[in-house]
Amino acid sequence: MTWLVWRQHRNQVYIAAAALAVFAALLLVTGLQIAGQYRSARAACAASHSCTNLASNLTLGSPLLSLLVTLTVVVPCLLGVFWGGPLVARELETGTNQFAWMQGVSRRRWLAVKVGWVLLAAAAWAGAVSALVTWWSSPANALNQQNFQPGQFDIQGIVPVGYALFAVALGIAAGALIRRTVPAMAVTVAVFTFLRLVIGQDLRSHYLAAVTIIGRFGQHARTPTGSYWLISRGLVGRDGQLLSAPPLESGLSVNGVPVSEMPAACRPLALQNPVKMLSCLTEHGYRGFFTSYQPAGRYWAFQGIETGIYLLIAAALIAVTAIVVLRRDA
Amino acid sequence: MMASSDVLAVQTRGLTKRYRRVTALRGASITVPEGRISALIGPNGAGKTTLLRLLAGLARPGSGDVEVLGGRPAQHPSFLANVGFLAQEIPLYRRFTVGEHVAAGAHLNSRWDGAYVRQRLASLDIPLGQRVGALSGGQRAQLALSLTLAKRPRLLLLDEPVAALDPLARRHFLAQLAEAVADGGLTVVLSSHLLADLEQTCDHLILLAAASVQLCGDIDTLLAEHQVLIGPRKDTTAIERDHTLVHAVRTARQTTLLIRRSGPVIDPAFEAADVGLEELVLGYMSQPAGPRPGRLTTIGEQQ
Repeated sequence: MTWLVWRQHRNQVYIAAAALAVFAALLLVTGLQIAGQYRSARAACAASHSCTNLASNLTLGSPLLSLLVTLTVVVPCLLGVFWGGPLVARELETGTNQFAWMQGVSRRRWLAVKVGWVLLAAAAWAGAVSALVTWWSSPANALNQQNFQPGQFDIQGIVPVGYALFAVALGIAAGALIRRTVPAMAVTVAVFTFLRLVIGQDLRSHYLAAVTIIGRFGQHARTPTGSYWLISRGLVGRDGQLLSAPPLESGLSVNGVPVSEMPAACRPLALQNPVKMLSCLTEHGYRGFFTSYQPAGRYWAFQGIETGIYLLIAAALIAVTAIVVLRRDA
Repeated sequence: MMASSDVLAVQTRGLTKRYRRVTALRGASITVPEGRISALIGPNGAGKTTLLRLLAGLARPGSGDVEVLGGRPAQHPSFLANVGFLAQEIPLYRRFTVGEHVAAGAHLNSRWDGAYVRQRLASLDIPLGQRVGALSGGQRAQLALSLTLAKRPRLLLLDEPVAALDPLARRHFLAQLAEAVADGGLTVVLSSHLLADLEQTCDHLILLAAASVQLCGDIDTLLAEHQVLIGPRKDTTAIERDHTLVHAVRTARQTTLLIRRSGPVIDPAFEAADVGLEELVLGYMSQPAGPRPGRLTTIGEQQ
C-alpha cells in the first residue's frame, strides 16, 4: 500500500519539498541577519545612556519579509485543500477506488495507510514551517514580546501542526462525504477558515480564566510583564464592576479606555491635566483602572490546549471518514 | 436444472438493492456452479452492474443473501484474493504507466502472477512504459483484464468486458477466457447487453430484465426445457394451463408460442420445435415488466 501511496502522491511531495526548501533558505539567511541586527542593537543600547525603549526605535527585517512570514498562517489550509481534499474524493470521482478495493488489500488498510501517510506528511511540513517561523521570529518575540498575540500565536510553536492535521482530516472527510474533489476543496477552505476564526477570536481567551489587575486611582498599579496577552482594559465602576470598552483603532485613550467613553466633564482634562482627570473620574463614581490578561507563563499551556482541541476534531473527522468509506457502496 | 454434486461458486437468495427511489435489483435468486462461464444478459439498466457489484462486495445488499465461494463478500484479503472484478468503466490510474500498474498489483496482492501478466501484455503489444492515459480503450480493457487475471482469482466478475474491444479482439479474449476456465478452478460471470457477444463461449445464463431475474441456469438445460409451438390461430388456454407461456406471437393465421414445458405437448394442432438461445432470450426480454409467469405479449394481433 505504501508503494501505491508514494506513487500516487510523489509529485505533491516534490512540489511541497521544493517550496519548503525555498522558504527555509529564505528564512535561514534573513533570520541570521535579523539575529545579528538585534544583537548589535541591544549591545549599542546597553552602551548608550539615552536608550530606554529599544522596541520603539528598532525595526527588525523588512516589512515584506514579515508579511511573508505572517502569511504562513495559510499553510495548514493549503495542506488541507491540496493534500486532504483529493485524497479520497479523487479516487471516488475517477473510480480508481474500485481498482484498489478489488486488490488483495482490505478497504480498512487502504484507508489507514493513505490517511496515515498524508497526516504524517502534513504534520511534518507544518511542523517544519512553524519551527522555521518560530526561530526566525525569536528576536522579534524578545523585542516586542509578541508571541502570545493573535496572529503570532497562530504561526509559532505547535499549534500550526494541530491546524494542519485538522485541515487535512477535514479535506479527507469532505471528500469522502461529497465524493467530488473540487467541492471538497471548497468546503475545506470554508469550514477551516470559519472554525479557526471562531476558536481564535471567541474561544481561545477563555481556555484559562484571565488574570485581572485592579489599580485604584492615584496608586501605582502593578503592570503585567513579559509576553503577556492583553485581554481587556478599562475602568472599575462604583460597585467594583469592570467597564471595558472595545479597543480603539484611533483616538485618544487612557489605559485603553477611550476618552469618548468617559463622562463629558472629565474628557477635556485627559489632555490637559491627567491628575485632575482622575479626581474627576472619582467624583463620577469610578474607582480605578483594571487590566485583564493572560500571563506570559501560560503561553505553552495555551498552545497545548489549542493543539489538543484541533487534534480532537481531526480525530472525529477521521472516524467519520472511516465509517463512510467502510460502510458506503463503492 | 443442475447436477446436485455441483459446487456453487455463487448463490443469492432474494437479493434486493435500492438506490434512493430506484430499485436496481428485486428479489434476485441465482446460482452459478463452479467452473461455468455464465453470461449475464439484460438490457441496459436491467441491474447487471448492480448484481456484479453485490457479488464483488463493492455494494451491500438492501435485503437478501449473497454467498460467493462459500462465504459472504467481505472487505477482507481472504475474500478479495479469490475474486476478480472488472468494472465497466475500466478504472485505472491514468498517470501510472502500464508497468506501474503491474507493480501496484504485485504490492497489493499476496497471490500475484507477475510473469503471466508481463507475458500477456507483451503478446498484446502493450508496452510497459506507456502511460495508461495514452492507451486506446481496447488496450486499457486488456490491461485491466490482465491485471485481474494475474490475481489468479477463483471467481471472475466482468462487467461488459468486451464492449471496448473490436470484433477480433473480442473473439480472442473470449477464447482465452474459455481456456482459463478449462484449466480448472475458475468460474466466470460476465455481462453484456448483447447475447451474440457471449453465445459461443458461455455455458450458463442469467437473464435480467427490469431489475428481476428472468432465467438462470445451464444453457443446455434451459434450451431443453423450452419449446416453440407453431400452430393455427386458436384458443391456447389448455396449453397455457399445462405449461408456462413465456411469449406468444399471434397473427391472423398463425400462433407462435414460446413455452416452458411441464411435460410433453400433446395438442396435435401445434408443431413443436426446439428453441434457439437467441429466441429464448428475446422471448423473455420482450415480456412486459411485472410479475411472471403467465403474462403474454401479443404482437400483430388484428382487432
